[in-house]
Amino acid sequence: MLMRLEAVDFRYGGGTTALSGIDVSFGAGELVCVAGRNGSGKSTLLRLMSRIIDPTRGTIWFDGEPVSTIDRRMFARSVGYLAQNPTVAFPATALEIVLSGRSAYLARFGWETPADLELAHAALASCDVDRLAGRYLDEMSGGEKKRVFLARVLVGAPRVVLLDEPLAALDFAHVEQLLGLLRRIVVERKCSVIFVSHDLSWSSACADRVLVLDDGKLVGDGPPERVLTVENIEKHFGFKAQRVAGAEGRQWIVPYLP
Amino acid sequence: MTMVPGKTELRRGLLLLSMALILSILIGISVGGTRVTGSSFFEGERVARLIVLQIRLPRVLVAGCVGAILAMSGATFQTLLRNPLADPFVLGVSGGAACAAAIATALGFGRIPGALALIAFGGALAATFVVLMVSRRHGSVDSARLLLAGLVLNALFSALILLALSVLRGGDLTMALRWMMGTFFASTVAEAEVLGIALTIAMGALWWISRDLRLLSFGEEDARARGVNTERTKVIAFIAASLATGAAVSAGGIIGFVGLLTPHFVRRFWSSDYRISMPLAALAGAVLLILADALSRVVVAPAELPVGALTALLGVPFFLMLVRRSA
Repeated sequence: MLMRLEAVDFRYGGGTTALSGIDVSFGAGELVCVAGRNGSGKSTLLRLMSRIIDPTRGTIWFDGEPVSTIDRRMFARSVGYLAQNPTVAFPATALEIVLSGRSAYLARFGWETPADLELAHAALASCDVDRLAGRYLDEMSGGEKKRVFLARVLVGAPRVVLLDEPLAALDFAHVEQLLGLLRRIVVERKCSVIFVSHDLSWSSACADRVLVLDDGKLVGDGPPERVLTVENIEKHFGFKAQRVAGAEGRQWIVPYLP
Repeated sequence: MTMVPGKTELRRGLLLLSMALILSILIGISVGGTRVTGSSFFEGERVARLIVLQIRLPRVLVAGCVGAILAMSGATFQTLLRNPLADPFVLGVSGGAACAAAIATALGFGRIPGALALIAFGGALAATFVVLMVSRRHGSVDSARLLLAGLVLNALFSALILLALSVLRGGDLTMALRWMMGTFFASTVAEAEVLGIALTIAMGALWWISRDLRLLSFGEEDARARGVNTERTKVIAFIAASLATGAAVSAGGIIGFVGLLTPHFVRRFWSSDYRISMPLAALAGAVLLILADALSRVVVAPAELPVGALTALLGVPFFLMLVRRSA
């Protein structure tokens, strides 16, 4: 087991509970979708797993050790996180951005080496954006930016990749491309990719496993066909849906409109 | 061998700006109200040596250190707040330092050596704290609030400095006026020493955390996810930048826009990587202020302009352009 959350609670400073009693495990080589309504605690789960925030109660384990005992920089080498809308404060090229993803490997006064540069180019290539290496971020489309930042996460060679709404604001072609890329990462690098998404249809068709959060509680965990049933969707997402059989046994979820 | 961006850019920048610094120092010690030729200096003429070594050189050193500090602090504030408009002057940090120094002088602490720099540091730190408290919103700093807070704080500090001025007489009054105007008139070797120490300590501290500050420019959460102890990094950076700004203001007064202009210049021509932009901005800031000071001595010679007025003339149009662009 790569990562495990055990009876994890998270409360904000004001006392509002964002997550409670979360028990969940992640193995290697899984593509996992975290779904749920707005405010159900999806992003909080990812922020806890990436140690941006610490749980109010409970333990998060990584490779058999409680994460609180692991040095933060060492942990950052194993777990990569991508926010929903990553930005840079000042103009930077795609290559500079991706190279900064090697920071957890740098000594205090260290600089990136030619080996890091090679890894950066490989990461850009694996996300199909190597041609953009010298381009500034503000000269790119939304889809290109996302792939550059994904390359920044991958260049750190993490074993767990946490992505907050990577599909948001992407057109269909880009969604398909990105999900294909995530699958490739899982297969080739044998790492776990855990992504938050509101798109039940794509998630149901492409993920190995779906977690459903409702009001801070984990109410579903398993293969999409078992978790994303019409009844569960109505109960936890608040709309009527229907499942449509697609090619190669894929199941798509679409709203049911009479 | 494949060239890795980063180190190479820093090396090139350091080389180029060091040459520019040497050139600017030579210009700085050569120009002024009284003409001193190279031959009169090297032939050991007493007056020429006195002017260059006792008057111009300390002044050039003070201007260089102040320029370096302001630019380094500007680069740091901009990275910390992820805001291109942040600089010690705009944020009111310089104003806080000047105000503390003026009040301390009015209360009779002005003559204690080194005390003014420390008191100015306290003022700078307090101003930084207030401006951050006011402009923080949902964990990030809001540009409009930041500018407003800086504006209002600067107005308050001006009022307090004017109050302090009204009770000052003689030498103390002249000194306090210097802080208001921003000038290196009558800079001393002792001031250059204090500045040199402050610059070394602050730059050392900032260099120590430069790897982490570079990641903070991607946002606080991103930096935390990459293993950065963000709270500690921010505290060290704010204290280092405020300490240095306090020392700079106690020696040269309020000099605006150096901290705003130079980091932009450096980011544009070299890199926005903090590990590169901070040291290069410091060098460029030193060059800029030494040259501006030299210019302030020759424009209306034998009288001289306050250098703060010159940097403002240069900086205000640039600042307006930035505001327009960021809006």
